[in-house]
Amino acid sequence: MGGQETTYLDWAASAPPEPDAVDEAREVSLRLFANPSSPHAPGREAGEKLEQMRSRFAGVLGVEAREIVFTSGGTESNGAILLSLLHRHRLGGVQRQKTRVVSTAIEHSSVYEQLHSLQGHGITSAFVAPRPNGAVDPQALADALDEDTVMVSVMMVNNETGAVQDLEGVARVVRDFSARRGRKIIVHTDAVQALGKIPFSLRQLDVDAASFSGHKIGGLRGVGALFLRENTAPGFLSMGGGQERGRRPGTENLPGICAMTVAAEKRLLHLEQDRAAARENARLLIHGLREIKGAWIFPSAREEDDAARYSPYIVSAGFPPLPAEVVVRMADSRGYCISTGSACSSKKKDRTRVPESMGLSHETALSAIRVSIGPSTTAAQIDGLLAALRQDIPPLLSIAQGRGA
Amino acid sequence: MTELLFLVKYGEIALKKRNRGAFVKSLKDSIRAKLPGLQFSVYETFHRVFVRFPPEQEKAISAALTRTFGVVSFCKALQIERDISAIESAAVGLAEGFIAAGMGKKFKVETRRADKSFPLSSYEISCRVGELLLERFPGLGVDVHTPDWVMNIEIREHAYLYGPSIDGPYGLPNGSSGKGLLLLSGGIDSPVAGWMMAKRGMTIESVYFHSAPFTSEKAREKVETLARTLSGWAPGIVLFVVPFTPVLARIKEKAMDEEVTLLLRACMTSFATLLAERSGAMCLITGESLGQVASQTVESMAFTGSFTELPVFRPLVGMNKEEIITIARKIDTFETSNLPYADCCVLFSPAHPLIRPNQRKMKLSFGHLHVETLLREALEKTEKVTF
Repeated sequence: MGGQETTYLDWAASAPPEPDAVDEAREVSLRLFANPSSPHAPGREAGEKLEQMRSRFAGVLGVEAREIVFTSGGTESNGAILLSLLHRHRLGGVQRQKTRVVSTAIEHSSVYEQLHSLQGHGITSAFVAPRPNGAVDPQALADALDEDTVMVSVMMVNNETGAVQDLEGVARVVRDFSARRGRKIIVHTDAVQALGKIPFSLRQLDVDAASFSGHKIGGLRGVGALFLRENTAPGFLSMGGGQERGRRPGTENLPGICAMTVAAEKRLLHLEQDRAAARENARLLIHGLREIKGAWIFPSAREEDDAARYSPYIVSAGFPPLPAEVVVRMADSRGYCISTGSACSSKKKDRTRVPESMGLSHETALSAIRVSIGPSTTAAQIDGLLAALRQDIPPLLSIAQGRGA
Repeated sequence: MTELLFLVKYGEIALKKRNRGAFVKSLKDSIRAKLPGLQFSVYETFHRVFVRFPPEQEKAISAALTRTFGVVSFCKALQIERDISAIESAAVGLAEGFIAAGMGKKFKVETRRADKSFPLSSYEISCRVGELLLERFPGLGVDVHTPDWVMNIEIREHAYLYGPSIDGPYGLPNGSSGKGLLLLSGGIDSPVAGWMMAKRGMTIESVYFHSAPFTSEKAREKVETLARTLSGWAPGIVLFVVPFTPVLARIKEKAMDEEVTLLLRACMTSFATLLAERSGAMCLITGESLGQVASQTVESMAFTGSFTELPVFRPLVGMNKEEIITIARKIDTFETSNLPYADCCVLFSPAHPLIRPNQRKMKLSFGHLHVETLLREALEKTEKVTF
């Protein structure tokens, strides 16, 4: 577009890859191309590299290597753990027990839609609504648990609002319930938007399973991971060559796994420093947005510096009744890449599920844009976006508001 | 020497006696325009149009003919020497193709001898060819009343053998009925309306109102795809893309919510009239269907129609949505129209639009917009794309 410089502020949809990660993937693609399961020397070498990566990735998460299953991404990781219920639910074609999952109304569609589809197979689910601040109350979740509940799935950081969920609280109420009832409940978390961005310990949170994605942290597309705590071994649906200890068959994507691991280590190394910068940028952004007439910050309870409750890497705002796509197109014409509520669902009609679950009206929900930043985002870029919005929003908003009825 | 031809039959053209020559020329131009880059020739003889082509282009040319208005039907023909043994061997080859295509086993041979100097009579030719086919292809049977296929033979300056007839789209050839300006949105109806007028021989120019950032680039691309699809039926379609945001802004600023849709339609009609004046279009074409939406009641159409001196053709006005969709599928615009890029933002579709506008009051509201200058400016900034 006429040589206009592009400012990328859509990191939560896909982050620009880390050059080190891409270099590693290229090097491994060319050198260690053999199948890691093959018994010959190149195959063994690839297999060793794979296990090194598994240890290193597990190291980033502070867990054991054998607890890591490499997958094709966040969606597959979420799908694998949820679909494993099908195996358990209808083992040998006979329904053995009632199976219920308790989740939230704000999950990514790869959890939300998957659970809806499982309802057709007799696996019921409950979706707990968040409070207006975007966080699900562990007590509300506890109230939804019942005798049939076998799994709880709650995301760590919401991909549309950045709201950090109280996973520790969730795990605690689940464990309490489980102890009283004497039946195990698997706690799963979709941690795609948390990895490398907010500090967490899977052990301390006491979760059984967690999903991760490579390309959200500067790795490559098509690779992700599922953490599966030792002794949490639901049966898996995919069958094949027995890779990943039978949990995820298919020739391992070694270059992708290497890239994800390198990127994850880098993000971990700079986590605090990056996070401090992101906090400053988020503060700048929220402050600047609030100065534009007609702007809303979603959720409205979010403070300018509110890192305990919201990921500083994601800021959601809107200028109702101006539809989000109008703001996104306007920003695009000025060289700023931002997205509507969530990039993954921006093509769908039901993209207002998450903001509406927080109590926003449909019209207001339709106005939600998402600005998501990363380690290399600068204050100057934020200022640039704010300047563009300050200039272009008022006339668009006045068109949108019109004279009225 | 055997040559491949398509024999093209045209219907209404022959009825229009005095204009027939001109019509035949535009039919030929229309077929030619459809096939740029292909090697073929179109010529007329004995009041028939023939398309001569190399064998490898049969498919492309056949596809083009099914989309050429003015064509009632066409059939593949072999042009061969006026010699009975040449006729016989060509008939065997053709019959082989019919049988392979699973057309059936009951056949008949029909011969017309325009040139009576040929030594065998029509009846004799039919008998000889029929007997030969029975002998060559065991299992075939003659059935002169309900044949599965007919072997047509004509003796003229050459001998011709015809295959089965394939339906054309009927109508009048492209460019034989003046020029109209189509208000093209990304929806299902307007491309069908344009197609229907093109079917009657009208040259189609189209206009799309683009309101960035309220409408997306995807919506514009969708309209371009629709124009390109229509150009497969009516070659050389022109698309005018109008930057309409300032007009929209004026309407939203001055008008009551419930009047927005109708005033927008009125502005579009006014603009289209200006554009038609400049481009020489003699009518406006819209995809309106009576009562389909609020702006398509008779009261609403009376209002929007009052903003032009030109006739407004609404070929879908009496059609049901299902009927329109059937045509949209047939002409390959349905899937594109169905893509989910809303071409008109929700902001400009009020929850309770006027259904029975008061004409006098609405005229006053339009007057308050003072859009004349904005429309002139939009005209100067209009882009033209030819397909």
